[in-house]
Amino acid sequence: MKKICYGFALAIIANITNAHELTPTYPKLKPSVIDGALVAEMKLWNRRRDVRYYEITVHDSEWNNIPFAAVERLMNVEYNEMRIFGVYVKKETARKITYICTTSKQLKEDVESTGLTTRICSKVK
Amino acid sequence: MLRYIGLAAIGLVVTSPTSAFEAPIVGNVSSKCSIYTDTPGVYGNPSPDKLSTLAADGGVTPVIRIDVTAAEYYTAKISWPNDFSSSPTLDDAQAWDGEVTVTGTSTTDMSGYEAAKLEYENHTEYSLTAAGSTWFGITSTVEYGQGKSLPGGEYKAMVVAECIAD
Repeated sequence: MKKICYGFALAIIANITNAHELTPTYPKLKPSVIDGALVAEMKLWNRRRDVRYYEITVHDSEWNNIPFAAVERLMNVEYNEMRIFGVYVKKETARKITYICTTSKQLKEDVESTGLTTRICSKVK
Repeated sequence: MLRYIGLAAIGLVVTSPTSAFEAPIVGNVSSKCSIYTDTPGVYGNPSPDKLSTLAADGGVTPVIRIDVTAAEYYTAKISWPNDFSSSPTLDDAQAWDGEVTVTGTSTTDMSGYEAAKLEYENHTEYSLTAAGSTWFGITSTVEYGQGKSLPGGEYKAMVVAECIAD
């Protein structure tokens, strides 16, 4: 019985500690300190042990890439680390922006037989 | 006597605002999607030209879990692999196949997910119309060439799980 309880607790811990999260679901573009640019503040939480890098991408409603600026496009986010980052876009292109996404990037040696790429996209409304 | 009653009354007036001090606890529930790796997949090698994650073929089917905190905010898009992310050099065609199925749900409101799924190419989309957890199993098989054996070495492929705000 004790072993079953330990196994159950381990299973819960294993489940809790392997996730990718991105908030807010519906970010708002706000004026930034950079002239002619708007910024969306995003928050990424890496709870995947097997992932240390996340790539930021910005898309229109047809999933075409939209140019943007960020401190890092490929962020090094360690396990259990939360990262707040800004996505800067030109005022002229702001109306086209529909999705802001983060995609997990694994190192070759971190991938098991079938690896998992996770992507979460927030929608700019 | 009257002086004592007066002092006591003043004391009550002075102390009552502090004793009634309220410490508010503020919470905020916002819509959020989390993708969990529940079970990592492993390819079995049931025949020289085939790799498969099916248990019957000696593999392990990968399982992912998607949690949403609010209903009808997200669409889940899960794609089985159609190429190796790393493998020995392959000089012949590979025939890929796969299937994504709902293997578990946290509420009965999600019972219609499997029937309502949308499949195209190697992608499967689910509209996450209820809040809670959904488990998805992804099977993947690949057959190599025409009666050829797969070269020896390590094979890796990627399942892609996406959570897209509606």
